[in-house]
Amino acid sequence: MLRRLAISSFIAALAFAASVLPASARTRPHYGGTLHVDTAGDPWQRPGGVARRLVFDGLTTVDADGSVRPALAVEWESENANHRWIFHLRPGVHFHDGTSLTSLVIVASLNASCPANCPWTAIRATGLSVVFTSDSPMLALPAVLATDDFLISLTINADGKTPDGATGTGPFQVNGFNYGVLSLAANDTCWQGRPFVDAIDIRARRSISDQRLDLSTGRADMVEIPAEEIRQARQQHFNVLASQPIQLLALQISDFGPLANPNLRAAIAQAIDRTALANVIFQKEGQVAASLLPQAVSGYAFLFPTDRDLNKAQQLRGGITPPPLFLRADGEAAIQLAAQRITLNVREAGFNIQNAAPVAQHADLSLILLPLQASDPAAMLGEIIRAQEPSALADAGPLTQYRAEREFLDRKTLVPLLHLPRAYAISPRVRDLRLRSDGSPDLANSSLEAAP
Amino acid sequence: MSLRQKLLLLMSLTVAAAVAAVAWTVLVRIRHVFEQRDQEETALIVSQFQREFHYRSTEVASSVDRLAVSERARSMAFEMVQSGDAWPYLKEAQSMSQLGQLDFLEIVGPDGNVVSSAQWPARFGYPEPAASVSNSDSFLKREDLPDGSAALGLFAVRPIKGAEPAVHLIGGARLDQGFLADLPPAPGMTVGLYAESVSKDPASESFNPAGYFEAIGAVPNAARYATVIEDARKTGQQTSTILYLTARREDSVNITAIPLKSNSGAVLAVLTVAISRAGMVAAQQHIRAIAYAVASTGILITIGFSLWITARVSQPIEQLARAAEDVAAGIWDVRVPERGHDEVTVLARSFNHMTGELTAQRERLVQSERVAAWRELARRLAHELKNPLFPLQLTVENLIRSRSLPSAEFDEVFEESTRTLGMEIANLKTIIGRFSDFSKMPKPNSEPIDARAVLERVRSLYQTSGEPSLTFKTESSDEPMPLNADPELLHRALSNLVLNAMDAMPNGGQLTLSARPCNNQIEIRVSDTGEGITPEECERLFTPYYTTKQHGTGLGLAIVQSVIADHGGTIAVEGRPANGATFIITLPRAQA
Repeated sequence: MLRRLAISSFIAALAFAASVLPASARTRPHYGGTLHVDTAGDPWQRPGGVARRLVFDGLTTVDADGSVRPALAVEWESENANHRWIFHLRPGVHFHDGTSLTSLVIVASLNASCPANCPWTAIRATGLSVVFTSDSPMLALPAVLATDDFLISLTINADGKTPDGATGTGPFQVNGFNYGVLSLAANDTCWQGRPFVDAIDIRARRSISDQRLDLSTGRADMVEIPAEEIRQARQQHFNVLASQPIQLLALQISDFGPLANPNLRAAIAQAIDRTALANVIFQKEGQVAASLLPQAVSGYAFLFPTDRDLNKAQQLRGGITPPPLFLRADGEAAIQLAAQRITLNVREAGFNIQNAAPVAQHADLSLILLPLQASDPAAMLGEIIRAQEPSALADAGPLTQYRAEREFLDRKTLVPLLHLPRAYAISPRVRDLRLRSDGSPDLANSSLEAAP
Repeated sequence: MSLRQKLLLLMSLTVAAAVAAVAWTVLVRIRHVFEQRDQEETALIVSQFQREFHYRSTEVASSVDRLAVSERARSMAFEMVQSGDAWPYLKEAQSMSQLGQLDFLEIVGPDGNVVSSAQWPARFGYPEPAASVSNSDSFLKREDLPDGSAALGLFAVRPIKGAEPAVHLIGGARLDQGFLADLPPAPGMTVGLYAESVSKDPASESFNPAGYFEAIGAVPNAARYATVIEDARKTGQQTSTILYLTARREDSVNITAIPLKSNSGAVLAVLTVAISRAGMVAAQQHIRAIAYAVASTGILITIGFSLWITARVSQPIEQLARAAEDVAAGIWDVRVPERGHDEVTVLARSFNHMTGELTAQRERLVQSERVAAWRELARRLAHELKNPLFPLQLTVENLIRSRSLPSAEFDEVFEESTRTLGMEIANLKTIIGRFSDFSKMPKPNSEPIDARAVLERVRSLYQTSGEPSLTFKTESSDEPMPLNADPELLHRALSNLVLNAMDAMPNGGQLTLSARPCNNQIEIRVSDTGEGITPEECERLFTPYYTTKQHGTGLGLAIVQSVIADHGGTIAVEGRPANGATFIITLPRAQA
């Protein structure tokens, strides 16, 4: 018995060693290689453009845990009850063309990024610091500055000229754009250190099916996977990286014209079958939502009922039949299908509604996909509500957030439907690729398997 | 209208009516035969088309059958039933519809709800009543589409083999332009489909031309088809008729409207099979043109023949008529040809005999009149000459007896006798001169004169020399009354009439001379209030040697008539006994 146990232990030890040794070998990233990335959209688009975080840095960044970390700013402090923020810049940082990072460049970049309706009232450069001031408290400014909207780019170089292309301080610099492929080369002098891969080729505007084909044939190392296809991709044994729910699928309802009556908007909200959207169209990869923020972020999402109540919808409609309504959806096939489903649901409540073309000028309802970028719930909520109306949250407490969200949602101008993740499929040779808290891939810290 | 024209018209009308009746009968019969054949052909094509339509229905059912027994469908159904999850199969219908080459495909789960829909993917979870159809045949169904429209399709329902409870496939082919285009074409055949607003109550629907299409697009003149389509929709029965698409007959079709019904019997659409009648109408028109040409030629030939016949028939009668006119005009020595032995020939022979008799009688009459004239002349001459001869004889006898008288008495007697002889001899010369003048009337020596001047000259001559109880009156128009005449002859003629009028009024009266223009003529009247004349006298008044006077020669009025005739005029007399008489002279007015 002991002998048998000893033999078994030996075999198990051998098996463990066999499994651990290659793993330990893989923990040592390999430098070099070109990473091929396919994307359906514009790599420079805001937010979510895959090239933006490779070429540009923000004053702050958010790590995988969602915590705000220093980036181009090494530290920051707030004064006057968050009405004034001072960010101290990291010294010795240079742009790809050699231009030194200064507070004046930061101010110029932020002014270019946000010409109006900014979270701050004024911004100025003071030595190696940048000072933000506002009439209202800027509670989550460090988190806001970590978003894609406020990445720092060089607008005027040392010679006082505008750079030829996108120039940042990020781990990669633009090498060229040919035949729809954006070539990025590793920035050897990056303040974060040189990335592992030598270059990244980003093939823009590839359809989802082409991306899948590219990944299957080895022409791409990373492709985008829509939420509704995550399950299928996994069934096909692709290596899928999926984020937490970081997108909000919501129905935007016009509060003027035929839907000026809030009861009609509420009737529409009650008529929508969110469960069918989540379970069937998005193949159980989305979370049913009646709140702006996911439960994991806010902690109070369960207080917003998600169930469909057709009887209540018809009661709210109260026999009113507005003129024909048009629902526009701007997005991929799943979004269009969701729009058709919503149309079907709303017709059951007695509305005369049709799907409008994505390019239609007039729409009474719009199905939109909102990113949930900020790490801080208050900032996230503020971003969404600010997108709907200019006023910002005055207080960042959970109760205040709940009240603000409740008050905002009770207007029924935005009806949350689902929280969706972002997902990518990667080839087996990609190593150490992780997703940031906003769901974007951290390509700068990934590497490629060495060629055999 | 002449006899020949009447005969020609009668014969032409008779022949034309006969030809037209024959042509009409032939054309009607030909048209009937053509239309019968056309309808038989249309029925044959419609029958073929219905078989093809049925075959397409069978094809749809076969496609759904193949899908229902496929490994893919069976595996899906098995997993669905085992797991109870339908959500993984959201897009299955789309890919399966492509495999089955179907326009519509829905997968209906055991609960009767749609699991996946190719045509409306968002319809998952909604019930599909058609899944309960147990009929193995295809059926027509209206399928709602995401854009709010509806499409018609031929559907078939099949349970997927091996799944229990059953998972159904509902597949279909769309009835649209493409479907119509795939149907086998026939020459001149157009297949259309009316499928507008099929979900509503057909009885309350009015025809919408926009819902009627054929393989190549909208149907031209769609409104023309409204009646037959409406009939088929409302009655639910196949309807056939002839439609005229334009005013031209060749733009017509033999149309058959076939109602397409759902399982419940409701008419969802109307399929129309229209077969052009252009070929038939063209053939009819060709035959009609030939018939018209033949009829026209026949009528023309008939008219020509009628001309010849009518000429042959009417010519003797026309000759008779012309001869009768000649006879009426006084030409009695005319003859008409006598050909053949028919009634007209008898008539011609009789006519010739009659004209011969008339000519002979006239010759005899002329001869007797000539003898009578000579007798009258002799009587007149004897009478006229006897009057002076008797004094001559007495004077000569008295002169002879007076030779025995003393010379003084003898001289007195001799002188008296020689004077008497001279007077009577002069009287004889006068009588002879009158006869000589009548035989030798001079030709008029015309010159421009005015009628008023002629009347004045006559009035001035006789007004003073007449009886006191006789009154002269002249009436003349103020207008100029030019004449181109011999003034002496015209004066002598009028003087003769005035003397006659004066003789007719021995106890006095009124003599009226008047002249007035009348159209292109000048009318001169000489009226008296004398004893008047009888109608018989009026007729013979201008006959030479006819006189009502005791000592007249009967040549005065004959000379007047001769003078007026020589001037291109006429003379007439009006009068009744005891009411006087009026002589009316009409002379041509001289041109300016």
